[in-house]
Amino acid sequence: MSYLGYVVAAYAVFVLVLAVDALGSYLRLRWALRAVRQRRQRQAARRSASHAPLADLELER
Amino acid sequence: MQPIVRWFHQLGSPPTFDRFARRWSRVFHLAALPVLALGLWQALFVVPADYQQGDSFRILFVHVPSAWMSLFVFALMALYAAIALIWRIKLCEVLAMACAPIGAGFTVITLLTGSIWGRPMWGTWWDWDPRLTTELILLFLYMGVIGLYVAIEDRRNAARAAGLLAIVGVALLPVIRYSVDWWGSLHQGQTIRLLGQSTLDASMQVPLWLMVIATKLWFAGSLLAKARADNLQREAGKDWVQRQFQEDA
Repeated sequence: MSYLGYVVAAYAVFVLVLAVDALGSYLRLRWALRAVRQRRQRQAARRSASHAPLADLELER
Repeated sequence: MQPIVRWFHQLGSPPTFDRFARRWSRVFHLAALPVLALGLWQALFVVPADYQQGDSFRILFVHVPSAWMSLFVFALMALYAAIALIWRIKLCEVLAMACAPIGAGFTVITLLTGSIWGRPMWGTWWDWDPRLTTELILLFLYMGVIGLYVAIEDRRNAARAAGLLAIVGVALLPVIRYSVDWWGSLHQGQTIRLLGQSTLDASMQVPLWLMVIATKLWFAGSLLAKARADNLQREAGKDWVQRQFQEDA
């Protein structure tokens, strides 16, 4: 009466769900940090564009 | 103001919370791992097989702590949601919503491991037993909270709506807890008591409590990590986020 297969399946479920939870947390945090970084880059680009000399902004004729 | 009270007030501010969560989410996750490993080792290799259930009773060392966590996390989520609704603390909204996916995960573990244990012991994967059915409703409630939070675009309105559902859903918790006493249930009654005599053998209690501590530590780590991500997403445009990144860079 060992029921080894059932025991392995149950523990696999436990470990798998905890692993998915940890991976989900890690990925969510990575996306959030990337979004912040991209926002910072956009702001920096906008700031440098606004400081550029006006002649650069004129269309070429 | 007392230092502890002042610390709690400071923790309510998004930048302070971000610094706190960055450090402690990792600490809690790392602390959970050895306790989890020890608990699993004890549960699988140290505790002798049950004289009636054989080795299948080992499933209970993951099933029972997960079931407790599914109820505990829901209660905590409702508490955070209530604080957020009453005192309008933004961070409590974030924490309440971070609880939902973790609690849903523990409920999934509870239902699946219970089902796997039920097959050899009861002869069926599933039965519409009061305890099983109410636990399934709890999973639907978690999914409802997550769904509501994702479906509404405005983060604060979404958290309020989902929080209300969590508060209403708390009524289910005593029904789950006492379902085995109120109705003739296939599920066994209470065997482990915090106060009073447990009917579980002392040798089986060590791995059980280790797993209980491990799941609590894991939850704390996951809660802080998820809440930090949501907090950063909400506050992405704020000066403190940009400043913090400048300091980190």
